[in-house]
Order: sequence, then C-alpha cells, then structure tokens
Amino acid sequence: MNMMGNVVMALRGISSNWLRSLLTMLGVLIGVAAVIVLLAVGTGSSEAVAKSINSLGTNTLTVFSGGGGRFASQTGTKSSNATLTTTDVKLIGDSNSAPDVQSVSPVISTNETATYKGATYSTSVIGSTPSYLPASNYTISAGRSISSADVKSHAQVVDLGSSVASNLFPTGSNPLGEQIQLGSSEFTVIGILASKGSSGLSNGDAVVIAPYTAVQDQLTGQSQSFSQLLVQGKSSATLTLAQSEVESILAAQNNTTVANLPFSVLNQASLLSTATSSSKTFTALLGWVAAVSLLVGAIGVMNIMLVTVTERTREIGIRKAIGAPKSVVLSQFLIEAVVISMLGGVLGILAGLIVVRFKIDGVQPVLATYSIPLAFGVALLVGVFAGLYPAYRAASLRPIDALRYE
Amino acid sequence: MTLLTASDPRMNRDGKVGAANVGEHAVIALADIVKRYQMGGHDVFATRGVSLVVPRGEFVAIMGASGSGKSTLMNIIGCLDIPTSGHYRLDGVNIRDLDDRELSRIRNRKIGFVFQGFNLLARMSAVQNVELPLAYAGLKAKDRHARAEAALRTVGLGDRMGHFPSEMSGGQQQRVAIARAISTNPALILADEPTGNLDTSSTIDVMSMFADLHDQGRTIVMITHEEDVAAYATRVVRLRDGVIVGDHQRVPIHARDEHVAHVQAATARLDDRELPS
Repeated sequence: MNMMGNVVMALRGISSNWLRSLLTMLGVLIGVAAVIVLLAVGTGSSEAVAKSINSLGTNTLTVFSGGGGRFASQTGTKSSNATLTTTDVKLIGDSNSAPDVQSVSPVISTNETATYKGATYSTSVIGSTPSYLPASNYTISAGRSISSADVKSHAQVVDLGSSVASNLFPTGSNPLGEQIQLGSSEFTVIGILASKGSSGLSNGDAVVIAPYTAVQDQLTGQSQSFSQLLVQGKSSATLTLAQSEVESILAAQNNTTVANLPFSVLNQASLLSTATSSSKTFTALLGWVAAVSLLVGAIGVMNIMLVTVTERTREIGIRKAIGAPKSVVLSQFLIEAVVISMLGGVLGILAGLIVVRFKIDGVQPVLATYSIPLAFGVALLVGVFAGLYPAYRAASLRPIDALRYE
Repeated sequence: MTLLTASDPRMNRDGKVGAANVGEHAVIALADIVKRYQMGGHDVFATRGVSLVVPRGEFVAIMGASGSGKSTLMNIIGCLDIPTSGHYRLDGVNIRDLDDRELSRIRNRKIGFVFQGFNLLARMSAVQNVELPLAYAGLKAKDRHARAEAALRTVGLGDRMGHFPSEMSGGQQQRVAIARAISTNPALILADEPTGNLDTSSTIDVMSMFADLHDQGRTIVMITHEEDVAAYATRVVRLRDGVIVGDHQRVPIHARDEHVAHVQAATARLDDRELPS
C-alpha cells in the first residue's frame, strides 16, 4: 500500500467521525496556537523593554545626583549635599581627563503646563545643552536645535516634542516663532522634534527642550547643580571605560572613592543586557507553559487513537487476514494520528497568526519567525508520539482474535 | 458417491499421510496436526493429529459439530494460527518455517478468504473492498482496479461496483467477498460457513458460484455444518473431537440430475424451518 493510499484512508477515517476528530484536533490546535502566541508575547514584551531602554539614548551613561537613583549600587556613606556641578561637566567633557566620552549634557528636569492661546498640555521640561539631543536620539524635524549661544545667552527658546506641538497648535499651523507659556514664562518655539514614539514606560514626545540656563532662570530657580548628567560614550565597546572615567572624576571631585560615590551611574548597555536576559527567561517560561498545553493535546490524540483501534479491531482482523503485513497496519494508524495532529497544527498556526495581531495585556506581540516551524515540527512529533503506541497495538493484534471481536 | 480406496497413492491404510510422502503437487498437505490450548491450567486439544491432503482442483467440505475442531483446522489451513505440532505445506510452502510477515504474504498470495459474516470494510465500496488484497500485494492502482472490476463481473456484480456494503443484500455482500477472494488468483479458496448468514435463495446463489469456481478448476475448502451446503462439494471430510472420522469422495449435487428437485426440496424444508407456524 503506498503512502498516498494510506493518507487517503486516514482522511476517510477522520471524516467518518468528524466531530470526534475535530475535538481531538482542537487539543493540538490550542497547544500550537499557545506556543505561537505566548512566544510572540514574550518577544513583544522584550522588544518593548529594549526599545524603552534604547530611548535613553545611544551608548549613554546617566549620572543621578543626590540620594541616588533606583539603580544605586551602594548604600551607606552617601553625602546628601553632594551635587553635580558645572565643574563636573567641564571635567567629564574634557578629552584629556575622560578620553572615551563623546559628550556630556547637564540635565535639569521639571514638569510644567505649556499654554498657547488657551490650549494647554502637561509636559516635562528638559533644560540642557545642544549635545542632549543627539545623545537622547532626538532629531529636529523643523526649525533648529537649541545652540551653545542660546545656552550662553540664557535665551528663552524651546524645541517642542511632537506631542506637545500637535496638542498646542492646530494642524496646519506653523508653531515656529510662536510664543508659548511654560509656567509663567514666555518661550519662543525655534524647532520641532521628530517623533520617537511611545516607549512603553514614558511618552518620549511629551517633552520640551530648552537651554538649561533659561530653565534655571525662569522655572527652577538659580542653582549651580544639575539633577542628572547625560554622558555619551564614543562607542558601545568603550562605554564601560567611559563609565570608570566618569566615576573617578566624580570621586576625585567629592573627595571620596569610586566605591563610596554619592551618585549612581546607570549604564545603558549593561541595563539592556540585564533586561534582555530576564526577558529571555520570561519568554522561555511562556514557551514551557505552551508546551504543557501541547502535551495535553498529545494525550488527547493518543486517547482517541486507542479508542479508534479498539473500535476497529474487526477491520484490523480483516485487513490482516487478507494479507496486510504488520508494517502496513502500523503505518495506517500512525498516519491517521499524524494527519490529525498536522491538521490541528496547521489550524493552530493560523489561529496563532490571527491572535498575534491583537494587543494582549498592553503588549503588542511580535511573531517569532522560528515559532512557526517549531510549532509545526512539534505537532508532527505529537502525532508520531501519540500514534505510535496505539498503532503498535493495532499491528500486534492476532488476526483470529481480531476477527472474533464483536 | 465414490469412496477413496486404500490403494490411492495419497493415502496409506489408516487414512494418515506421513510427512515424508506428502504429495508435492497437493494444494494442502496436513500431517499429524495437533493444536493444544492451555485453559485454566489444563491442556485442551482442539485437534489431535489431523492428516489431510487436498489435491489441486478439489472442492472439500469439512464438516463437524461445534467443538469438533473444524474452526481450529480452518484457522491453521488459513495460516491464521500455527499448530502446536505437525507439518503443514500449502502449495508447496512449509508453513512452520514462516514468520509473521511471511505468513501475511502467504495469506495474501495463496489464500482467498470467504467468511460467514462477509467481513467487508463498511467504509469502502464494493470495488475498493475487492482492490484491498491487490493493494497489499503491491499492484498499481490502475491494474488492481481493472482486476477488481473483472472479479466483480465474474460474480455478477458488474453493475454494483460503487455500492457500499450497507447498500447490498447479504447474498450480494457475500458475492463481493468471493470476488475479493478470487481477485488475487489464489491457490486456495477458504470459506468458513459461507452461507451461515444467508437465506435459502442467497445460499443457492452463493453455492452455485462456488460450484462454478470449482468447475473452472479452483481448489476450494469449505467449513460447514449443513448437509445441503456440503452437497456441493466433491469430497466431504468429517471431524469429531479433533480427529477425522470420515472422508468421502462423491459426485457434487449440481452435477446430478436430481439437482433441481433437491434444491426445491431443500428450499421447502428451509422455508418451513424459517417460518414456524
């Protein structure tokens, strides 16, 4: 008996009891769909985390002042009056003292309500220097960036994030040159930032960037200290070197050791690798959950195949009596099990592809391309695994016993 | 009715055939076949030394009451069961030496089975049922279809090829089974109570078909307990308690003048039996 004949026989067997076959298939279908969807959710959430970390900038270190940030590596001897000063900025920006640093941008941040002709929008205000924009991956879509001259002259000018611009100004109008109000002060719009998109944690477009000198003058009050320093390294390979240079400069400035530094330094690259490895664990965990449901589907296929073999004992007896060798009976039932799981697998892949298009619990699933051949291969294995024992039982039946079976 | 004489070369004085002088040209040569079962710690003998030679072209009826061992003998002749001791040659092949796979092949190539319960596959049409042994024999789809159609025409079902067993009468189903049995052109047609599930007219129908196959030179072994059915055979072997107690050659009923009268009488008798007043 050839392969094609066996497959046709199997399809006929499956369609003769289509409701039962459908329910059996459903087990495999759900298992395979779960593999695809859960792996896609895992991949989607890890991409979202990576994206939000990347939105911090490219090859950047962030130095948090004062009581330390969430990522403080040390507790204990933190001096509460340690501050980030313009001297620190100058030293870190000096290519002699810190050769692996590309740029350093002091950051003052505050939240203000922006107003333009009655329209209001709550936004975060970043006071910094021109190097902040490339370090944070901001690009100008219209107008110009704040300049060093603006910083020097305490110019009240701003670059608007795209959300701020679209919420304050009617579509079609040109915000450039218009005056907006931040708090109680007037600022002139000189540029619009290209959209970075939402990164999951925060909206990178709900921001306005102004010279830090003007922000100090108008919004936060005169002070020589900064809340953060954004340091851009020359390359990802030398980012760790840059980090140690920054740490030694800050330690020397504060008369302490690197271990007792009263600041915390966030390394974007190491944060990314930590997040990546934890999201890999998360994805693997989801994969195992899906594998369990696939196992349940496999047990269902095996169960039904055992029932089928019992029901068709007489048929098996007839086939063996008229000359079907063991191998043919074995392959007939094996193929039937494989066809059921393959159909379930294909339908499961289709179901998975549909579900992946929707947001699940705030995460946009990203289809992992390897998951389709994986799911298909596993469905095939399920069929072979679940069909082998029942098929073996069928093939081992003695024809006289099978013929006598009622 | 002609009795087999002791001078017949196939048989020695006590009716047994020695393993050494088994006829090379016989279809069936059974020598001292014993089948023993274990049942509740006791040995139960289904056959206690059966020896039988069936030459090519014979139509043998094996008769006996239930428990006489005729079903066991039929299973052994059909290569569905292996004797505990004794020798069996089917068409020159020693069956004792064969493994499961080779036995399947022998059943497929050398034996055409006709069962009491027809044993057709319900999900297959008549022609597909007849094709099945040809498929196991490895024939190509086109060849087996042609042969299956020819076999169905032989049994007079040329117009029922695509019908399913559930759409046919018992007599028609048994004719499909006969077509399936002859489709591989086997050395032996083995029928187990082929008319046991049939009414009188279907019985005559089916038995006439066996008579025709015999006339065409086929070798047929039939298990039955009905004298009317056994009357179609050229030789009747009687079993009791696992041994042969009678072995007679005779002119089959369909070759006799009184055939028609006999059929009518049998029909009347059977009708009386089936319709009790």
